[in-house]
Amino acid sequence: MTTIDRDTRIPDPLELDRAEEERLRIAAGLTPVRAQVGEYAGFDQVGIPDRPPQTEREVEVYTLGEGEMLVNMGPQHPSTHGVMRLVVKVRGEIIVDIDPVLGYLHRGIEKLCENATYTTVLTYVDPMDYLSTMHNEHAPAIAFEKLYGIEAPKRAEYIRALVVELNRIFSHGLMMGFLALDMGGLTPILYAFINRDEIVDMLSAISGQRMLFNFFRVGGVNFDTNDEFLSRLGTWRSNVMKNIEMNERMITDNEIFRARTIGMGTLTGQQAISLGVTGPNLRASGVPFDIRKAHPYSIYHELEFDVITHPGGDSYARYLQRIAEIKQSIHLIDQIIDRMPHGPVQAQVPGIIRPKPGRAYAAVESPRGLYSVYSISDGGPNPYRFRMRDPSFISLQAVPKVMPGKLVADTMAVMASFDPVMGGVDK
Amino acid sequence: MGHLRRSGTAAHALGRRRALTTPVAAGALVRLLTERFAADLRDLWTDADTVEFTIDAERALDVMRSLRDDPDLDFFMLADAAAVDYGPGVRFEVVYHLFSWKHPAWLRVRAHVDRADPRIPTVTELWEGAMFHEREMYDMMGIIFEGNRDLRRIYMSPDYRSFPQRKDFVLPDDAADSPAAGVNPLERPETWDLSRFRDALTVSVAGSELRGDAPAEAVEDGATLADKSRPR
Amino acid sequence: MDLDLLLGLGRFLLATTLLLLLTVPTAFVIIQMELKVIAGMNLRIGPNRIGPSGLFQSTIHGFKVLAKEDTVPDQADRSTFTLAPWMVYMAAAMSMLVMPFAPGAIAADFNIGIVYFFAVLGLSVVGLLVAGWASYNKYSLLGGLRSAAQMVSYEIPLTLSIVGAVVLAGTLSFSDLIAWQREHGWLLIWQPIGLGIFYVASLAEINRTPFDMVEADSELVAGPFTEYSGMRFGFFFFAEYVALFIMSGILVSLFFGGWLAPWPFPAQLGGFAGTLWGIFWFFLKTYIFVFVAVWLRATLPRVRVDQLMGVAWKILLPLALVNLFITAIAVVAFDL
Repeated sequence: MTTIDRDTRIPDPLELDRAEEERLRIAAGLTPVRAQVGEYAGFDQVGIPDRPPQTEREVEVYTLGEGEMLVNMGPQHPSTHGVMRLVVKVRGEIIVDIDPVLGYLHRGIEKLCENATYTTVLTYVDPMDYLSTMHNEHAPAIAFEKLYGIEAPKRAEYIRALVVELNRIFSHGLMMGFLALDMGGLTPILYAFINRDEIVDMLSAISGQRMLFNFFRVGGVNFDTNDEFLSRLGTWRSNVMKNIEMNERMITDNEIFRARTIGMGTLTGQQAISLGVTGPNLRASGVPFDIRKAHPYSIYHELEFDVITHPGGDSYARYLQRIAEIKQSIHLIDQIIDRMPHGPVQAQVPGIIRPKPGRAYAAVESPRGLYSVYSISDGGPNPYRFRMRDPSFISLQAVPKVMPGKLVADTMAVMASFDPVMGGVDK
Repeated sequence: MGHLRRSGTAAHALGRRRALTTPVAAGALVRLLTERFAADLRDLWTDADTVEFTIDAERALDVMRSLRDDPDLDFFMLADAAAVDYGPGVRFEVVYHLFSWKHPAWLRVRAHVDRADPRIPTVTELWEGAMFHEREMYDMMGIIFEGNRDLRRIYMSPDYRSFPQRKDFVLPDDAADSPAAGVNPLERPETWDLSRFRDALTVSVAGSELRGDAPAEAVEDGATLADKSRPR
Repeated sequence: MDLDLLLGLGRFLLATTLLLLLTVPTAFVIIQMELKVIAGMNLRIGPNRIGPSGLFQSTIHGFKVLAKEDTVPDQADRSTFTLAPWMVYMAAAMSMLVMPFAPGAIAADFNIGIVYFFAVLGLSVVGLLVAGWASYNKYSLLGGLRSAAQMVSYEIPLTLSIVGAVVLAGTLSFSDLIAWQREHGWLLIWQPIGLGIFYVASLAEINRTPFDMVEADSELVAGPFTEYSGMRFGFFFFAEYVALFIMSGILVSLFFGGWLAPWPFPAQLGGFAGTLWGIFWFFLKTYIFVFVAVWLRATLPRVRVDQLMGVAWKILLPLALVNLFITAIAVVAFDL
């Protein structure tokens, strides 16, 4: 229970003497931080944490029991998908508890966007979840169009859906590669990057950028399709099924890969909903929640597709879910190309738009889950409040829930199966 | 990059207001909400695909629990929890977005939180995933979530003393005057012991006397050199 | 007698010097193979700047490792910290004494050569444990313990798997074993199960993928080697690649005919030509198996530490015992 204690004077914990700290903890009724220092290998548990715990949960995590120790994973670490620190309480090789420490990549994007025009905001959101840039831009574009009261032209919506599905394909492909890499398989990541390279060359032909595309505008997209884009799209489309199946075969039936992912990190559907996990992670636990079907936006109500789910809820199910979604996205792209109408690709809007005061909420299905934007306009050129809800941030809460009882070596594999991207986590 | 064709026609002129998603039938939801929460609703508003209502901070947990557990409402998913600062002297708002299979509209619940004494009950007992949302709201705005077991900073370092997303945030900050500042003793400078600066200069690490630094201190009985060279 | 002794000593010194010198280019060649072969399997190019198509890359790696700063953690136990890489390297180097390169080209042709080999190989476990302990680092300690557990548990199926071969051939000496293979055909036909167990256990023994969680850099950084830099680190990796070569060499000698050519030659080439012929076939077969180990590294993910132990104790050990029983019964029954 958090209470405000304004009257008690507590000395600065950073400078407490070790004995003093022990005395205070014992007086407060907590177990000592370092129990029997001499017993465990003669090491001192220095530095984690560098101050006494402040909240109930911190006390729970940082109190060491019999034979337990605190191990730091990160922030400099080859496998944490960006900079993140996981304080892991282990008993030997078995994990007892995990405390993620975030904020190493925090750039203050939400506050920054309060001083930027609506069009500039669309460039600020690109590097949030840098592997799904198009989705990062799609949600604010829809929210700002709601605020401004316009609709993008039909062709623009189709192009938006096309690039968004292409982005989803390469993001899921990369997840495949990272999952194998975190388990020691060196090759699938490079094959995944070959797939990504083909798509990114295509997207650079249409938007001018290879990674942070800056392609969406309020009222449409920036450029129309051109010859190079279409020719690359055609070449890619004729090869992609074969390539995806080849990459998939390398991993899906591999005995070692299966032994390390089946039954690992199992989340039931109920647990996943309670934790706020969305997207492929939720659908792999059996819940058929897909924003594109549950609350259709853009042109998704015109396209035919099913919501894919897998009943397992373990890492293997999450992997299979993403492979299935890649194939579904290819199917969606076929329909989009079939039905794309002619027309303009951007509505006529002034350079600096000033929407009427109001509130708008827009949610899209990003490769990591429900990515949404809540924006408040006060009539001026800048958003009054620009809030992004990033799926990786919330899905990260599932890791301390599923890991206790498993081995340290599984932490990275399970985290990779949730596919977090730290840019989104830390905003 | 090939031939870029820009749209040149004014076929989609600005100002024509249209629904950006298929307009949903929100009538049933509005009726249910006015029935169930007649006493709590301060305001109700609908849009093409959103139903929004406003409540007071103290009622937040009860209202959210009814929204989740009532079989007709069945808002099982908390999609987003955000905090908004309307300025010094106005108010905070904690905004929840909920989703239900039974109602095709997004439900937005806005809870008015007093800016001078920003407290609101936590919803972590309903949705465990709200923990990170609330930690972020505490970190960025300084709103206290009563009953939250782990209300500490998530993005900023634990001894940071300001709330960056407030409208009156300046560097150096004066948001520390808010009652939410100082919940964490690390954030209260009057609890810091500045004598550490005096002490640190007199403790030397082995070999520093070779560099001509401050003279070495005698090692007390029972203490090892390791005690002196560990990071404090 | 004195002259004999002196000549013997001189020959021994010459042989050991040559062997120690041999470890250096062996490690370089295997590292270069790893760089380029894995790159090819990853559809990349690998190093291609230093030397013609990158051939001198690993030599430059060697010089780089020599040139790096040598750091020792402040609270590490300096003497044991220094000793650990030596122990691991010496275990590898000493086991090269009995490697049968060619008829007459064995440094020390013990008649209990096989026993000596497996005994000396176990010394590297001590080196890894010491490295983990002396580093004064939690991760190193965890890594050292993991590696000790792994290597100790795989030594048992490793040694048991070749007992069948030894029983068949009736000798513990490498050169006699190879001579038996010349008469009766390669042991891989006689002991296929033993070969399988030996191969898997040897990969685990030298910490190669898929059993390389000792150096699982996506988990606990570099395991017991985290605090090592410069030439000390270089020694560990030297030792690992030399051990890979040695294990492949022993595999080849035990099961694939050692220095014998794949088809039987009517006449035994004598003297210097015979030695060269044997060396050629030995190195060719050994490097084929080194290539297979590198191939496995490019392809397979890592096995988890408890699954690793499970494989050793629950699968390989019973299989090795079964193999031994069948072989013993067959030897007695068919009077082999």
